[in-house]
Amino acid sequence: MRYLPSAPSEDRALLDAIGVQRAEDLLGGVPSELRLKRELNLPGHLSEQEVLRQLEALAARNTPFQARFLGAGAYDHFVPTAIDMMVSREEWFTAYTPYQPEVSQGTLQHIFEYQTLICDVTGLEVSNASLYDGGTSTVEAALMAVRLQKKRNTILISQGLHPHYQEVLCTNITPHEGLKLVTVALKDGVTDMEDLKSKLTPDVACFLAGYPNFLGCVEDLTAISALTKAAGALLVSVTQEAMAFGWLEGPGKVGADVACGEAMSFGNKLSWGGPYLGFIAVRDAHKREMPGRIIGQTKDLDGKTGYVLTLASREQHIRRDKATSNICSNQGLVALRANIFLQLAGPEGLKGLAEQNAAKAQYLQSRLLENPKFKAAFTAPFFNEFVTRFNGDVKQLQATCEKEGILPGLDLSPYAENLKNCILWCATETTTREQIDRLIAVVSRVA
Amino acid sequence: MSLRTREPLSFERSVPGKVGMDLPKLDVPAARDTRPAHLKRSGFDAIPSLCEVDVVRHFTRLSKWNYGVDDGMYPLGSCTMKHNPRLNEKTAALPGFAESHPMTADAHVQGNLALFYTMQEWLKEITGLQAVTLHPSAGAAGELTGVMLIRQYHLAHGRKRRVILIPDSGHGTNPATSAMAGYEVVELPSREDGSISFEDVTDPATGKVRKGLLTLVKELGSEIAGAMITNPNTVGVFEYRIQEISEILHGIDALLYMDGANMNALMGVARPGDFGVDVMHLNLHKTFSTPHGGGGPGSGPVACSAALERFLPRPVVVKEGEKYRFDWNRPDSIGKVHAFYGNYAMVVRAMTFCLSHGGDGLKAATMRAIVNANYIRRQLEGTYHLQYTTPTLHEIVFDDHIQNGNDITTLDIAKRLLDYGFHPPTIYFPLVIHGALMIEPTESESKEELDAFVDTMKKIAQEAKDNPEILHQAPTTTPVRRLDETAAARKPVLRWVKA
Repeated sequence: MRYLPSAPSEDRALLDAIGVQRAEDLLGGVPSELRLKRELNLPGHLSEQEVLRQLEALAARNTPFQARFLGAGAYDHFVPTAIDMMVSREEWFTAYTPYQPEVSQGTLQHIFEYQTLICDVTGLEVSNASLYDGGTSTVEAALMAVRLQKKRNTILISQGLHPHYQEVLCTNITPHEGLKLVTVALKDGVTDMEDLKSKLTPDVACFLAGYPNFLGCVEDLTAISALTKAAGALLVSVTQEAMAFGWLEGPGKVGADVACGEAMSFGNKLSWGGPYLGFIAVRDAHKREMPGRIIGQTKDLDGKTGYVLTLASREQHIRRDKATSNICSNQGLVALRANIFLQLAGPEGLKGLAEQNAAKAQYLQSRLLENPKFKAAFTAPFFNEFVTRFNGDVKQLQATCEKEGILPGLDLSPYAENLKNCILWCATETTTREQIDRLIAVVSRVA
Repeated sequence: MSLRTREPLSFERSVPGKVGMDLPKLDVPAARDTRPAHLKRSGFDAIPSLCEVDVVRHFTRLSKWNYGVDDGMYPLGSCTMKHNPRLNEKTAALPGFAESHPMTADAHVQGNLALFYTMQEWLKEITGLQAVTLHPSAGAAGELTGVMLIRQYHLAHGRKRRVILIPDSGHGTNPATSAMAGYEVVELPSREDGSISFEDVTDPATGKVRKGLLTLVKELGSEIAGAMITNPNTVGVFEYRIQEISEILHGIDALLYMDGANMNALMGVARPGDFGVDVMHLNLHKTFSTPHGGGGPGSGPVACSAALERFLPRPVVVKEGEKYRFDWNRPDSIGKVHAFYGNYAMVVRAMTFCLSHGGDGLKAATMRAIVNANYIRRQLEGTYHLQYTTPTLHEIVFDDHIQNGNDITTLDIAKRLLDYGFHPPTIYFPLVIHGALMIEPTESESKEELDAFVDTMKKIAQEAKDNPEILHQAPTTTPVRRLDETAAARKPVLRWVKA
């Protein structure tokens, strides 16, 4: 077994030193009636070649697509080569949580930089070291808002949040008997302001709005925040496509008190949904209710600048059942990818990428709308995703595209009654004009 | 080691105009500006302007300030810092996996679904349980999923219960998780041998009586939803009465949750499903070698009994003939716990680890991990104090009792280890051992590495007697020395701000 440092002479020497005949003699603490009396019913060990062959065969069972027009919470952006090269350095990927800061300054300084960048793109003051994904960061943001808003027990959410985030939120809020989850309807693809106004009762702790939302529409956070502020509720922006921060103002600068969501778009591959990058940022006044790890700057004995895990009294290993969250790990290596990505992109690169995303999506929309079977579903501005109504058989349209090696937009029919025959399209900087023109040619063949 | 003394924050090195990413030529008309004026991105205050050379050097230099498993022994107890095989990285990056979109129809991701299904089958066999979900993102997320399964189980049986029992030696995530799942936590005391006490325990110092398992069950009975127990526990001791505990809990219709953080001690040796566990999580980043990544991403699958299967997070992968599909129609499910299906690329790595080892290799890994920990125990017993003398499996917890005489604490010992080029063990955990030094060598360490570690620990013990000041000053060879954590928390500086 290539991963075990076993050699007969040394194995014997170890056992002799311990004073046992066989390794099994060390299992004395495990009552014999509780031990497994047989070998595991699993295949035997394999060489690298054999394992690789099996996994390559599995990977080959996934359909490769030459063009993708699917987003919906997972975005196909270009990943600069330097990112893979950097994160494959063992010092990054084989280290653990920086419990010993003297030999973890690399990780600690990286996270401090990551926190700074998340604050920058969101326009807020304090970020943590990252959370699991967009779904769970939405949960943590909502629970934090409830902690900050003592005596208010209702979490108000826009129906425009990613439906999976809504479900993850529901899963996690249900066990809290005192908490209520209430949904605000959409009107023309964005939060219905009348409905919001009527539901902003004194028991509402926070309102969660997509920015942009699941349907690609850009919510007017400024207008929403005027209402939430008047009602004493916190405004939480939920962003599932962080690339939009190159196009849209940071939510903290247009009224959001908390920004959370998914930042896989910064330097990560699709990888069938994970590992992705949950982020959260808040105003300074709220930092002591923040979930998860936070890195802070300090000095060492010689007065040299260094970084440490800080504000740990919020966390599970100190506070146990009184902690702000049960989260222990973060998405360290994924956050590192995002950090490297943003530093490579720079401010101009991020804006430029975002402009390309918007340009491709606008071109895709205009080409689709040339076909009378497609109608724009909403009028709100969008970033790189938008919805069209299709006057035809969506399933057939999808099948036709897939047969041509094209992954089409998401069929929204299962998500809501009024989204029947609606398709959520996405284009990014990786989408080429040629791919779009080919898609248009293929869909034109669908009756 | 060529450690630069200081690598500035990248923000301080920014030179406007530098470019680290060239954008492709735009092949469609430029974007029309459809944004309301107030929502237009104004600018950025921190993102630096650097070229690729700057960025690559920055992250290379920073990396050199880290210590990883490839640098040497990393005996962080409870964290299972084993070797991260490079093949796992290669398989996770196969384009077929890495480029698959999570919203793709089942028919086009048969490879992913097959891999998911196979991994679940392996974990079922390893744990002896009947069903598995791979969705939770990390150990703590697995715990939360598991406790929510327990909650759903009771609700389905028309029971409302408010209490979860957790031993005082448990990971902090256990009580934090129970609170997040709406439960009240009641602590179970440990006995002198490190196991859970069935009887009441009187603290010899304070005379305070702490209720044991039997009293708590008698008094709280129908309010107890379950117990969360780490096995082997955080002192490396197998909870030898685990089956009895399970029977007592089942006697009051409560369930047994096992924190599987220490599963590296049990593969092929004993199966939780066989000794009465109803539900447990595994840490793919511990037992199954997926890299720790400086703090994540992890992956925390949950295994459970047949009685809990219907409550598992949706969607659940099912096999029909040679085809696989996601079953979303799960009316009793607790719901989704991750936006998609968890940290899939970590599952690919763990599957690679499993295929490489096979059933025989997994058991061999466990046995070697146990031998390594016992070798260290034997070599350091006497030099360092052992609170519990019970047989231990994959890890061993010493403390600083002997060294306290020379005014030396666990922290000093840990910091001195850094000067000798070792990552220290987990310190000050579990809380039940004052000044704990929790050593988990894992199966990856050779005799040569173990001996070097043992020699160093002995040398430090000698230094503690001869020259304690060296230990108080340690470390002196690291990129920074001891850092002022109090100042960091008192006046938090949590991001860079332009001067």
